[in-house]
Amino acid sequence: MSPLHNLSEETLILLLKKKNQQAFSYLYDNYADSLYGVVCRIVTSAEHAEEVIQDVFVKIWKHVDLFDVEKGRLYTWMINIARNAALDYRKSKGVRNELKNQPLSNIVNREEEQDRSQNERNAQADFIGFKNILDKLKPECRVLIEMAYYEGYTQQEIAQQLDIPLGTIKTRTKAAFLQLKTLLKDYR
Amino acid sequence: MDIEAYISSGIIESYVLGVASEEEVSILNCIRKNNSAVDQAIAEAEKMLEDLAEIQAVGMPMALKEKIWNRLQDENLVANDNQPELLPTTQTLSKDDSIQQQTSSAEEEPKQAVPIRSYNWAIAASILFVLSAGANLFFYQQQKESSEMLAAANNELHSKKAMLATLQDKWDLVENPAIKTISLKGIETKPDLHALVYWDQQSKAVFLSLEHMPAAPKGKQYQLWAMVDGQPVSAGVFPLDAKTQMASKMLDVAKAQAFAITLEDEGGKDAPTLTELCVMGSI
Repeated sequence: MSPLHNLSEETLILLLKKKNQQAFSYLYDNYADSLYGVVCRIVTSAEHAEEVIQDVFVKIWKHVDLFDVEKGRLYTWMINIARNAALDYRKSKGVRNELKNQPLSNIVNREEEQDRSQNERNAQADFIGFKNILDKLKPECRVLIEMAYYEGYTQQEIAQQLDIPLGTIKTRTKAAFLQLKTLLKDYR
Repeated sequence: MDIEAYISSGIIESYVLGVASEEEVSILNCIRKNNSAVDQAIAEAEKMLEDLAEIQAVGMPMALKEKIWNRLQDENLVANDNQPELLPTTQTLSKDDSIQQQTSSAEEEPKQAVPIRSYNWAIAASILFVLSAGANLFFYQQQKESSEMLAAANNELHSKKAMLATLQDKWDLVENPAIKTISLKGIETKPDLHALVYWDQQSKAVFLSLEHMPAAPKGKQYQLWAMVDGQPVSAGVFPLDAKTQMASKMLDVAKAQAFAITLEDEGGKDAPTLTELCVMGSI
């Protein structure tokens, strides 16, 4: 971790607004890998992920003037830009539709058999240092985070696809967050 | 509304995962503005996803850094470097110029105003004397005003320069690769407090800026401590005359595992008063 990683968000925003090479270097050195990690989980081919992450940086760079400290955290804002750009890309390439057209049984099965994530994991072998913390969650929780966060399904869609009541989806998502919180503590 | 029930309804998780509906989001934004518990729960969930992103980071291909920078340059999104930020200085300088001009014309005019050609010299001389005295008084007043303006402009220049120097100093620290920045966070009872220690790993020099700390009460002073193998060692008191956000030079610290600040009697103590602990941060 860089020695300057503790720069407060206010200082970082000031730095970014300078729009010079130091600002870019700082942004890249400290955040590129995390943001790329998010993109790679959504756009699973390295070639396409590289394309998306470039757009992400251009967007952050362009729009940092619009970022409102009152409305939230800068890091979260950047992560959301990365996530949305990657999801848009995924949608444009029809990845989502392919999945939708799979027979229902396949989708339901993946909860137990994790076949889809196995496929994705093979694809993700291209990436350096790929770690999947979510694997350590209970499968029925993991699938909810993956579908919502990395695949962009709404909770209604998830409920339909997995044939589980919406209320259960909400409770399980909450449980997933609690598990994740404990897991992340071990990594601190 | 029962806030506890709202928080545990799963809405915050949906929100940070980006799957809440527009309507849910607008309700949530409205509630978080007025309710710190909701706001904090959101911040915590967001922080968790930030941590997740950090741990699940994937190494970017090296070549991309230059590629992206070139693209930013191509798209004209990069600020011109070396833009000198001299605006306040030039303004003040031009004020000085005009003041000098005024002063010199004030000295010349009385000379011209004394023609000697007159047949009734005595009356003329008296009239001229009165006129000249009046003019002198007028110009004296004007010059006094000018010098006051000059002094005010100079004062402004000094304070702007000091402000610029403060920012510049901090900026240099932030940019220096040998500097390690340690964020000192408020202890449990004072969670809002925040200070930054800039520690030069080569020269061992330590600088402190009180980012978010109340001014020390009269007779008190903030004292910085370095924790060296479990023992607190004083790194000096934060100067009373320094602005809180200024990065003030403290005592050099060769080795430390953590830094902390206590509020002590003016001049500092040999050992920290632990009940007066304000912020701390480990390295």
